[in-house]
Amino acid sequence: MSEITLGARRPVIVRRRRWRIPVTAIPYLFLAPATLWYAAFLVYPMLQSLYVSFFDWDGLSPTMTFVGLENYINIFAVDEVARLALWNNILWTVGALVLPTFFGLMLALALNRRAPASTLFRTIFYSPAVLPLVAVGLIWAWMYNPHFGVVNVTLKAVGLRSWTNGWLSNYEMALPATFVTFIWSHVGFPMIFYLAGLQAISKDYYEAATIDGANAFQRFRHVTMPGLAETHVIVLSLAVINGFKVFDLVYTMTYGGPGRSTQVLGTWMYFQTFQYYHAGYGSALAWVIAAIVLVIAIPYIRRMSRG
Amino acid sequence: MRGLKIFAATALAGFVAFSGGAEAKDTLRLMTVFDAPTVKLWEPVLAAYNAANPDVEVKMETVAGSGAAVYPDVLRTSMASGDPPDVFFMWGGEIAGPFIKAGQVEPLDAYYEKYGWDKVVAPWTIERITRDGHKYGVPFHARGMGLWYRVDLFEKYGLSEPKTYDDLANICSTFKKDGIYCASFGGKFGWQTMRLLDYFTETTCGPEEHDKLNALQSSWNQPCVVAAYDRLAQWVKDGWLVPDFLNVAPNDARMPVYSGDAAMVFEGGWFEGVLKSDEQPLENYKFFLPPTGQTPVRYSAFPEQWMIPTSSKHKDQAAALINWMTIADTQKQYPEAFTASATIGVESDCTVAPRDCEWKKLLTSDSATYPPTDQAFTKELIDGFFEVQDGVVAGKITPADAAAQMQAKAEAWKAKQKS
Repeated sequence: MSEITLGARRPVIVRRRRWRIPVTAIPYLFLAPATLWYAAFLVYPMLQSLYVSFFDWDGLSPTMTFVGLENYINIFAVDEVARLALWNNILWTVGALVLPTFFGLMLALALNRRAPASTLFRTIFYSPAVLPLVAVGLIWAWMYNPHFGVVNVTLKAVGLRSWTNGWLSNYEMALPATFVTFIWSHVGFPMIFYLAGLQAISKDYYEAATIDGANAFQRFRHVTMPGLAETHVIVLSLAVINGFKVFDLVYTMTYGGPGRSTQVLGTWMYFQTFQYYHAGYGSALAWVIAAIVLVIAIPYIRRMSRG
Repeated sequence: MRGLKIFAATALAGFVAFSGGAEAKDTLRLMTVFDAPTVKLWEPVLAAYNAANPDVEVKMETVAGSGAAVYPDVLRTSMASGDPPDVFFMWGGEIAGPFIKAGQVEPLDAYYEKYGWDKVVAPWTIERITRDGHKYGVPFHARGMGLWYRVDLFEKYGLSEPKTYDDLANICSTFKKDGIYCASFGGKFGWQTMRLLDYFTETTCGPEEHDKLNALQSSWNQPCVVAAYDRLAQWVKDGWLVPDFLNVAPNDARMPVYSGDAAMVFEGGWFEGVLKSDEQPLENYKFFLPPTGQTPVRYSAFPEQWMIPTSSKHKDQAAALINWMTIADTQKQYPEAFTASATIGVESDCTVAPRDCEWKKLLTSDSATYPPTDQAFTKELIDGFFEVQDGVVAGKITPADAAAQMQAKAEAWKAKQKS
């Protein structure tokens, strides 16, 4: 048995070097999980769909045929439905920029005061915005039913039989009728944003303007509107994006018909990808939608932000 | 240390036992479009199979209520992700086409030999699901479609079931005079209106030419097709159909018939179940096959089938399950789960489901049928067909232009396939 004599050797002091994370790297570490998530579930699928858009592929077969820019060329040069869908999207977006925004602003102005029922009305006007669009579409399709729908029944009841219509069955009326549903369901978004924007404008500006003799319109023109500049950026950008992304209401209410009259790029992309098994062409359509939204939205946001 | 060894050994034994147990019982996934009441009816069927086959557990997955619009998307996603069901429901004809073309569906010819399914199910249903000489599915439903009518309205105006097209036209004319629409259609999705146009094409072009048109072997731009479109336009113009129906959902098209504002609706054998669930008096509804004036007299019918994906890991067990679901012995034990069966020798209870009983006799007899165009054409081509059809109904396209446009779409489709 050996004996160990403590203290026979000089103790060795090991200095552990503390590894320090550079201060400048810390924010990136916090960002890393979100970045990885974003890269895996957003950037990768987007790049994959961009890659697929250069192929003729049914989305099922193991083989894909490279076709270069043919899918993109076909969208603008060959596919009449895609051009009609693009035109419908433009009409929809212009409408989405003007009508829900205008009505939302008017509602916000009306409800931006301490009235007994203002909270109730805010809830009522915002409530359609929280309903799933598929449910909204189905309910409105019933309301528009030419035989038993509440719209035609009401018109008949009040003596306006000549105004009754096959709202969604009529080639000329189907898209506007669907758009009315869009206004109903989307007017709450701008209203809420504008209400928040209005409450951020100091009352002092209004008092000063009143003392200076400004009337109600002048106060709106020179105090309210400039005060809502940042809100306009958000509301109008979302209107453009939502206008080009429209899918649910058209799909549930008209299924792109009658004929192809209400096809929009979103539904046409869905039909091409999932119903006609043209995953490459559908991906190209998706990128056209994305490109249009970016081309419109980015310069507008930059300009308004600078302003 | 010894305790640790005992713990490790026990854990390992448990793991092995658990793994062994999991391997001993294979799960077979059965994908359908069954709604909740049908799933309920199928629970004892699958429970009986599971009890008789302890090495297998069949689990049903359903995409209810979506019809052919969404179900194929769900199926496609499961196949593309490498996780398909082992057995899946599919309609006949071209709805199954893309899956077969992509090599995702197993040819079942060998299983047909093994189980003798050729002699078990109605021959026309097998013929309809055969593609390029191969059988990729096993028919389990045989569906026929006809004009269902309100008995009280027919009796009130002294009308009887038509024997010729002219008889049918007279019936519609009589109803129109009395302020009743002859028929109600839901034009949304196109396929219900298509049933009427298909019938007109069968009457004006005849069986042989109709089949050639569906196979794109004849030109659509010909007088008999123009005549079919002309009849469709005329029925709309004469006010025989409930107006403004182009974007009415097919299910909603039943309302005017229930309310007595319309006399007929073009539905399949399943309409008997719909009438029951909609609490309509069953005795007030009968159906007839629309008279074509052609030989043979054919009516619109289609099969629905079971298929097995190529990538299923349990193909033999899947085929055994299909066989068990197909044979008459099983179906006779669960008659409510197997209505509209394509299996020969399975009779419906005529006291419980009298109309289904009539259909069953028709569909398993040697009566002649034609496929609905949406099962003859791919989805892309049929949507072109619906576009033209809608144009005719809306009065935006003349019958002559419609025939020309349909032919142009057929040619464009064929050219695309060649390229």
